[in-house]
Amino acid sequence: MSSITNSPGSFFNRSLRQMADLRAGIERSRTQIATGSRIDRGSQDPAAAAQLRSVARREALAQVEGDNAARLGQDLGAAATEVEAVIALFQRVRELAVAAANTPLGENGRRAVAFELEQLREELFSRANATSLTGEPLFAGQSSGSAFTRDAAGNVTYAGTPTSGAVPVAPGTAIERGLPGSEVFEFQLNGSPSSAFAVLGGLVAALQGGAGDPAAAANAAIEGIDAALDATARAATILGTRMAWVEQVETQQADRRVALAERRSRVGDTDIAEAIARLQQSLTALEASQSAFARVSSLTLFDALR
Amino acid sequence: MPTAIFTIGRSGLTASRRSLELTAQNIANAENVDYSRRTLTQGELVMTGSIGTNAADSLGGVRPGVIERAESALVQRQARDANSARAAAETEFFALREAESALETSGVFTGLVEYEAALTRLQNNPTEPALRLSALEAGRKMAGNFRIANGTLANARSLVQAEASAETLTVNELANELAKINADLVGAREGTAGRAALLDARDKALRGLAEEFAIQPTFNPDGTANVTLAGTPPVALVTGASAQAVAVTFAADGTASFTVGGSAFAPGGGAMAGRAAALAEMASLQGALDGLAVSAITISNTAQAAGAGLDGNPGQPLFAGTGAGSITMVLASADGLATAPAGAPAGSRDTANLAALIAALGAPTGPTTGTDTLLLGLSSRVAALETRTRGLEVVAASAEAEVLRETGVDLDTEAANLVRLQQAFEANSRVIQVAAELFDTILGLR
Repeated sequence: MSSITNSPGSFFNRSLRQMADLRAGIERSRTQIATGSRIDRGSQDPAAAAQLRSVARREALAQVEGDNAARLGQDLGAAATEVEAVIALFQRVRELAVAAANTPLGENGRRAVAFELEQLREELFSRANATSLTGEPLFAGQSSGSAFTRDAAGNVTYAGTPTSGAVPVAPGTAIERGLPGSEVFEFQLNGSPSSAFAVLGGLVAALQGGAGDPAAAANAAIEGIDAALDATARAATILGTRMAWVEQVETQQADRRVALAERRSRVGDTDIAEAIARLQQSLTALEASQSAFARVSSLTLFDALR
Repeated sequence: MPTAIFTIGRSGLTASRRSLELTAQNIANAENVDYSRRTLTQGELVMTGSIGTNAADSLGGVRPGVIERAESALVQRQARDANSARAAAETEFFALREAESALETSGVFTGLVEYEAALTRLQNNPTEPALRLSALEAGRKMAGNFRIANGTLANARSLVQAEASAETLTVNELANELAKINADLVGAREGTAGRAALLDARDKALRGLAEEFAIQPTFNPDGTANVTLAGTPPVALVTGASAQAVAVTFAADGTASFTVGGSAFAPGGGAMAGRAAALAEMASLQGALDGLAVSAITISNTAQAAGAGLDGNPGQPLFAGTGAGSITMVLASADGLATAPAGAPAGSRDTANLAALIAALGAPTGPTTGTDTLLLGLSSRVAALETRTRGLEVVAASAEAEVLRETGVDLDTEAANLVRLQQAFEANSRVIQVAAELFDTILGLR
């Protein structure tokens, strides 16, 4: 005899599987709500997981680039401060030179001017060798040693490299770290290379009695002083432009970080409202399914036969 | 004749009592999945005698026949095949999901990104000791994450292998059991409860075998089953009362190979096929992971060799090792990181060489992209397997329900039978009572 029957075994199996599925769905919704993350394994949504990975990498690099830009801004600011001070210094030097050239100062007056100029020369040397907050030379290019060295005779030479290297601050954007000292303190004077130190040193020597006609020597030095002022003013402009650039990059970085965070949230975060609604729906379905199971499983002929 | 009525009533009582026994047996086994419901056949008993041309019939009541077992070879075969396919997909899915979490949670990708980020930070000020040290430590962590991934992958692999070895023992047990059942079936009489129980055991053993290997059973008229394992090539596992031994061996790369009675074969379905596929997949994952580690080692060491450290000396290798399991940081000091190009003086802040290293690490051919691609490939594969497993689960569940519908016990039917047979029993008792009264009436004639 082969008849079609309704086996309680298959009913129980079916009901259990359905309730287990509902329970698994509830567990998943609960995990999503608790962790705030829609995906806890890549295979739940491979494409979204790959996007999340690339967003995570971009975020990590953006963080570092932001730090780099902030520090670069500080270093450029420090260099700009030094250059501003050097400009003020040379303006004072020019005043003194003009005074020495035009006014009959006498021996003592010239010595006083020479003394002040000597002090200014020392200040210039120490400003040229200034360091950043972390102790790196500001004007040595890619060298980590002193930017300028002075020999026993008082001659100052540039010891750094001719370029200063760039720091990456955004994908595809790198900004020069600063200006090498050779571009700030060295220039061409009447077709031959000269430097701020040479001009100032020459003037000091002439006023200290090294020249027969100090007034004429002072007059002659003004041309060099103007060239030094030109060079430092140019450097100040370049540094100011770069600082503005860094600021602009920092603004862009902030925007990009927000965009990245939004993207990550859209791809990987739990939509809480949706998850809660789904959880409630599954809970209702599970409860209904359980009570239906209890009702149906008691429906056998044995209960009816007494 | 009253004696005939007695006999008829007694035969009816016997038949209904034996049917009641079977109904009770069915109800008792209602939740036994290996049980196939039984019914008792009945036949009318008529005795015909003839002397000369005079034939006379004598009614003898009912004759209890044989115990019939509900069987449906086709539905059972469908259920077995669906179960084999489900087990193959499910086992592979579970194994690869393990491998997926091993690779994802070990942080290979995060380690590479952090290494890249630390190197980018170092570009800001290549001579700062803190930044150099943090770049070196990020590299060390990256190497450590590769080793963790290697370890967890090896762990996942050994779990699958252990399972394959353990289930091989189960398969051998089932095959031997089936051979013994075959031997017993040859001697069992048709229509007996013992034979029905043996057939239940046979189907149970076949179901157990189908879970592990895709099988092609052939049934003989005496009820015995010969089993051939489907695969390349198909091999006989059980023939009559003899069974071949199944063995599994693992190659150095972790892949499994099977032999039946000493001859090699590749399973065509069942959980073992799923495990074999998962192990093959894991071997290729291991190869890819080793390749990524080697790529990270080579790129870092090549960059080091092309540059100069903080002291101006040529850069020394950053990592040593030949794969994910052996990658280690070997650079002794952070000063040795070759940030400057070769020939740069000591203390140079030139970052040209560092920039080249960062570009190589982040390039589409670099380990970061490689890891992303590997993870994407693996998680897509696992997602596809999950979908397939869910589908096959539904197919297997409906096939299982079909089997239960064909051969399972329906309590409503049995309850109705109980009532019907009880009435039959009472009616037959009544027949005997009537016969006794008839007899008494005759005895009471005066």
